[in-house]
Parts: sequence; structure tokens; C-alpha cells
Amino acid sequence: MAKTYQYCVAENWGKGFIDHVESQRITFVGYPGNVWQVPAYNKHGNLWIAKVAGTVKTKTEAQAIVDAEVQAAQAAWDALPDAEKAPAVENNKRPTDITLEE
Amino acid sequence: MATYLGTHGGRIQTYTSDPDNPNTGEVWYNATANTIKIEAVTTSGSWATGGSLNVARSFMAGTGISSSAALAFGGTTGSMSALNESYNGTSFTEVNDLNTARAALGGAGTQTSTLAFGGNQQSPTSHDETEIWNGTNWTETTDMTAVRSEMGSAGVDSTSALSFGGNQPPPQNADTELWNGSNWTEVNNLNNARNQLCGSGTVTAALAYGGGPGNSTTDYTEIWNGTNWTEVNNLNFARNGATDAGTNSTSALCVGGSRNPASGTKLNNVEEWNGTNWTAVQVLPATKSTGAGNGTTTSAFAAGGFQTEPTRTTANYEWIGAGSPQVRTISTD
Repeated sequence: MAKTYQYCVAENWGKGFIDHVESQRITFVGYPGNVWQVPAYNKHGNLWIAKVAGTVKTKTEAQAIVDAEVQAAQAAWDALPDAEKAPAVENNKRPTDITLEE
Repeated sequence: MATYLGTHGGRIQTYTSDPDNPNTGEVWYNATANTIKIEAVTTSGSWATGGSLNVARSFMAGTGISSSAALAFGGTTGSMSALNESYNGTSFTEVNDLNTARAALGGAGTQTSTLAFGGNQQSPTSHDETEIWNGTNWTETTDMTAVRSEMGSAGVDSTSALSFGGNQPPPQNADTELWNGSNWTEVNNLNNARNQLCGSGTVTAALAYGGGPGNSTTDYTEIWNGTNWTEVNNLNFARNGATDAGTNSTSALCVGGSRNPASGTKLNNVEEWNGTNWTAVQVLPATKSTGAGNGTTTSAFAAGGFQTEPTRTTANYEWIGAGSPQVRTISTD
């Protein structure tokens, strides 16, 4: 089955990382671990990955990075004192697993 | 046949960098980039990354009239923060701190004239302190009529603001308070008590949308006409902890938030209000809740908050609405 998305790892440096023209051409989805999803087989997606010097990852590799980040966040949440897990100000709930799309 | 010379009164010019304020439809050759460019107009809204916060925080307040003139203040890094950062459209700069560190506070105004009010000191203890920002310093002024946090807020500057809903401390309430530049006065309540709601507009034309109660979410939208709140069409996605933008009760943005706080899942969904209905527009590049945001439906920002709890982010996203000017490259392939 042809894949719909491709993944890369790139750190968001701020202004210019994703510009409005790029945003109007393709849909970006950011995940924990600086993992970014863009359309596969797409010239504009490929150009953006090159611009940000992204490291291309397979879906399996990207999923492993996201899993590691979420598990670390879950461990950090688990380590919080009970009083801090759902204080009124934080609405602070345990992070949920994330499943990337093909 | 119309010619470029005929319609623009000149030939296509060559520049080494893009001109500062080109007219819509103007075409030029950028000799550095070796490309032909045009000042176009966007047909739909979009998000781009902006300069990041210096310090990652959640539950900040944000004020400002655009994505290039904004303020993000207070919040929590895990500890209550008094930090105040000013945004110029490129980068955030730390400026003078609030006098009182707090999170989940209200904010109304501009980059140079802002009111900060209420908030949490240490949950569930709330604040009633009010501070005025004059573009350089914060000055304490008259307290709110009650301690409050996680409220919605509206107002154009430090002399005119509205606070509605929030915690006092928990559970949530429907109280509305009006700031006239000197004092807070209780006015008519929201129809639906809630916390972590969005607010935008002015003291005579405001909008309250989304929010609690508690750890649940609502899609309620209410319009304030200066005297009363009236229920109008709901959001498409119930949510709390979203960021907001809008200058009156007929135009607003609701950005991200949490759909179901109990799941810990954050949203990237964005909705735009046209005075009658909410419509889904381009999603954020990444999920975000409890960040700082403000601006208009044509130019807004959303900074900080959570992408995934409990890790706070410095990421900032800038919105331009449909009809905004934009430099585009003309492809010659």
C-alpha cells in the first residue's frame, strides 16, 4: 500500500521553520520528539524537509521516537506527587499514547 | 490588452531584496534569489512558526493586536511565574516582570497598555490582584471584587476590561466583572458557569466560548452586549484551555485546547467565528493547550502551553487570515 505520509526529525527553530506559503501548500503535523509529518510523494514536502535539514525516518522509526517521548512524559507524570496530578490550575492528565498514520 | 506598465505605471523593477511595502499585484525581480515575485492576497488563513518564547510556560495570559505586537506574561513553569515577554513579530524579549507571580490569570489590552488580573498563586488559592502595564513597568492597582482564576477576558487596553467565569477557587462560576480604569464592578453573569474558557472582544461587545466546567469541556458560546450575555451557536469542538483572538463579538479564533482533559489529549483544531457560526479553519502545525494568544482573525499568535503534558513548549505559531497580503514567488517552470 502506498504511504500517505512521510516523517522526519527536525527541531523547530522558530520564525521561518514553517512559513505561510509552505503551510498553505501542505499540511504539517508535529509530534513529540521533533517528529514532523508531511505528505509523501510531494514536491513541497520534500523541499521543506530539505530546507529544515530534516532527518527522514520511516514510520516505524518515527513511531519509536514518539513512543519514547510519550513514555518519558508519562513517567514524569507518574513521578509527580498525587497533589500535583490534577490540581485545579493544571488540568494535568497523564499523557496518552500516540499512533502515527501510514 | 492591459499591460503591466499600463496598470502599474512602471516597468517591473529589480531589487536585491523584497521591497518593504509593495502594492497588491506589484511584481518585481529579486536579483539575489533570482526569482520573480508578486505581492498577492491569501485566499485562506494559515499558520506558520513564529519566534519562540524564551521560557516554556503554560497558563500564561497573552495580549496584543497582531502576531507582530504581543505580550505573554505570567504562567507556570512548574512554579508560578512573573515572567513577561514582548513579541515583535520575530522574537520574544524578556521585559519587566509582573509584581505577583501567578498562572491562569486574565489579561486584556495591547503590547503597550495591558491589564493583568486574578490568577492562581498556588492551586487552589486564587488571586484578586490587578496590575497595569504601561509598556515598561507593571503597577499594582485596585483588586478585583473576588479572587479568581482560569477566567475569560476581553478589553482593548488597561482602562477597559471584562473578566468572566473562572474558578473562585473551584468550583467554576459565572461571575462577570467590569474594569473602568479604576475599579472593578460586578455585572450580569454568564448563562453557563465555566473555567478555562476563551474570551475576546471589548467591554461592550465580547464573546465567551468553550471552557469547563471542571475537567470536562463545553462548546457553549455567549455574546456580551455591554449589559447581558446571550447564548448563540456553539463551537464545533467542545474544548477548554484553548487560546483566543478577536476584537469584537463578531469575529474570533478559538485555537487548540483540550477536547477531553481526562484523556490528556491536546487539540490542533482551530475554529473561526463570523458573528453567527464557528467554522473549522487550518489546524495548528502541532497540538497546543493553555498557551498565550491574542490578536485578530487576520493576525494572531499562539505561544507556549502544552504540546504533550507535562512538558511545556516554547513554540509560537502565527496566524494570517484570508485576504492578508503575502509575497509569493512566480514559478517560471
